[in-house]
Amino acid sequence: MKISNRISGLKAGSALVTVLVLAASAAQAQTLRTNINADPAMVDPITYSELIAGDVIGNIYEGFTAINEAGDVIPALAESWDAHDDNLGFTFHLRPGVTTHLGNEFTADDVKYTFEALLNPENQGGLNARYLATVVGAQAITDGDTTDLEGVRVIDDYTVEVRFNEPDVLFPIYPFYFMDDDAVETAGDEWYLEISAGTGPFVFETWDRGQRVLLSANTDYWGEGPYIDAVEFVIVPSGDTAVSMFEACELDVVYADAASIRRILQTPELAEQSIQAPAAQIRYLGMNQNLYEPFQDERVREAVCIAFDRQAMIDGLYEGAAFPLAGQVTPGVAGFNANLEPMPYDPDRAQALLAEAGYPGGEGLPPINITSTEPNRNDILYFASQLQQVLGMPVEVEIVERGSHIRNMNAGEVAFFPWGWSAGYPDGLYFLSQVWYGPSPYNRSRWQNDQFDALIDQARATADNEARYALYNQAEEILIGEYGTCPTTVRMQVALVKPEVEGVRLTPFRFLPFNTVRMN
Amino acid sequence: MLRYGVGRLLGLIPVLLAAVILTFLANQAVPGDPITGLLSDQSGDAALEARLRAAYGLDRPLWQQFVDYILGVLQGDFGLSFRFAQMPVIDIIGEGLLISPVLALSALAIAFPLGMLLGTIAAIRQNSWVDTSIILVLVAGISVPNFALASFLVYIFAFQLDWVPVAGWGSFSQAVIPITLLVVPTSAYIARLNRTYMLEVLRTDYIRTARAKGLREKIVIWRHAVRNTLVPLLTTVGIILGGLLSGTFVVETIFNIPGLGSLAIQAIFARDYPVTMAIVLLFTVFYAGINLIVDLLYSAIDPRIRLGDRTA
Repeated sequence: MKISNRISGLKAGSALVTVLVLAASAAQAQTLRTNINADPAMVDPITYSELIAGDVIGNIYEGFTAINEAGDVIPALAESWDAHDDNLGFTFHLRPGVTTHLGNEFTADDVKYTFEALLNPENQGGLNARYLATVVGAQAITDGDTTDLEGVRVIDDYTVEVRFNEPDVLFPIYPFYFMDDDAVETAGDEWYLEISAGTGPFVFETWDRGQRVLLSANTDYWGEGPYIDAVEFVIVPSGDTAVSMFEACELDVVYADAASIRRILQTPELAEQSIQAPAAQIRYLGMNQNLYEPFQDERVREAVCIAFDRQAMIDGLYEGAAFPLAGQVTPGVAGFNANLEPMPYDPDRAQALLAEAGYPGGEGLPPINITSTEPNRNDILYFASQLQQVLGMPVEVEIVERGSHIRNMNAGEVAFFPWGWSAGYPDGLYFLSQVWYGPSPYNRSRWQNDQFDALIDQARATADNEARYALYNQAEEILIGEYGTCPTTVRMQVALVKPEVEGVRLTPFRFLPFNTVRMN
Repeated sequence: MLRYGVGRLLGLIPVLLAAVILTFLANQAVPGDPITGLLSDQSGDAALEARLRAAYGLDRPLWQQFVDYILGVLQGDFGLSFRFAQMPVIDIIGEGLLISPVLALSALAIAFPLGMLLGTIAAIRQNSWVDTSIILVLVAGISVPNFALASFLVYIFAFQLDWVPVAGWGSFSQAVIPITLLVVPTSAYIARLNRTYMLEVLRTDYIRTARAKGLREKIVIWRHAVRNTLVPLLTTVGIILGGLLSGTFVVETIFNIPGLGSLAIQAIFARDYPVTMAIVLLFTVFYAGINLIVDLLYSAIDPRIRLGDRTA
């Protein structure tokens, strides 16, 4: 019960004080109020593993680099970095004079500490741990043999060297969240509920479960801003309630969920206060050739890809808040190929192709399920009805619980499914190397092409951006050219922003930190 | 009376045990598994899966998980949450522990007298325009779904009149709409019941006698008739409270109130079994406790009922 006492003490103490102080000085204090649709599953940068937690943590912790409003990578805690001549490492030059929220100077030791904490099996390191897979000695820590990360060397306070087992040119842009190596010593294992150990523009204050996560301005922030005093993430499970709270001026900024986009875009007063940005999320139709023999014929795959109308889906299912996706890198993500045309809707050609492949009018096609989760029910109903009507394909819809569906897809056991993949860092390699690269555990439709894989291997070792993007485009053309998948649509993110709030940056990667926000 | 109370409390033990067993089994039967949920995109990583299963004790046989769970609960340990990284369940539920019961009881405290009043008036004015209009209102109150009524109340009180905030928790004004939402169908239900009981009571001999004695109508109704409708009404309080508690699930989710109801919804969707189980247990205790109090109240209201006293 030690922890329990500590947490309730924290609640009774600092939460109340903060809230009272904020309330008392409400006349001057500027608090940006925005919504998250559930409690974050964690508020610490080590176990961090989900979107909502990322919305909060991204304001508190920072990595070597950040992205700007245009989606370009910019230096953050690293001022610069040099690639090693053998392409198997980087030397990072850290920004001097950065203080953590604990008042210590941010140094190379903090970098090494964060990496080791992510890999330590006792910590259940979250999403960011996988970016360390190529670092020399990472496996030894994961296996529990040591806690020292051999491949990371602290040269001096502002210089740290990272060595890899194989080239990993994108390492500098991975979105790490560095933390002060004093945190655990200062406040114990549950430090993240009591103190804030990042370098970001906002400082963690309190988390009232079910109600809010409160951050205050870091007045010592090294970068721009913050111009406001606090950010309050109000936990609002219902998207509809969030929009109502915005209308009643109880929220200043709302990130809209899929269900409330309709209401926003159809209400002129709300639509006027909305901003949009494409999501860095590919969507595709997975066709597993091992499980459904007709998919081995390129003509069948093409027929499937042109048998449904992307624009009709966008208008009918997404309220227009989407656009057709041509390739498997989304706009706004480095390496996007603007020259690629979306696949057309061409029922006549689709029927002809299918007949050519030996299945006229769908005759002879074995039955198949199109599978997804409950939130995608309308999508798969649409696909199934189109494929039945246009191609005569015997398609049944199947809804599976999310966790099981992901497990089945990862195991390569789902024949036909629409799914998506959201970029974790701002580079097209994320999509191509994780979803379509042969050996990737997330290659869920098991599409495989040696030439594609070779291009991805080459891209991983190509430090020059333009040259690397060219490799992406080549690889993507192979994937799309042989109809390895049908790209479907890109979702538009919709957010509401009050007119008196300026500097909110909605990018393909959700909101950027609120340090540029001003409230008039 | 004391013996009766103690007996009833002992009777709670099998009820709680049954609740735990049912919830435990239901959690197993629900499609999905907390670890594949936790793994999400990383499912397929067998080493990580094994590590997580061991960390949460899910690698033990089912019967042992159950026994360990019961032993833990007896010592006040409800285990670790699956969804909230490494957080004890007791910390998570502790913060919102009383919110749902407070909501439900406040609603009951308003709905009960309100329903009695409406039902009584309708009954004594049977078949008049007063009766008809009350019945119309009651039918509406019972039939309109609470989420629809919620939008309506928010529109009127938060937007048009600007009296209360749209959502949130912590101040009196934030509780107004949620409690109203619970009061409306509950008071309508109580009023309809009470109207029926009252009509029956009004036809009984003792009411005729009271009137024949020349008692004023007010005394006949409010002292003799109402008191006799109380006993059958009280028996329904348990059922009503069950409805109110499940109503808090919806109301808390709509108005982001951090009570056990909204937490239960989150926990169920996240397959966070330890949290779900703890909430079910707490609600069972609360519900059973209220029913016990109601039973004890019978004898206070109706002296003819002597609880557990077989010799009388």
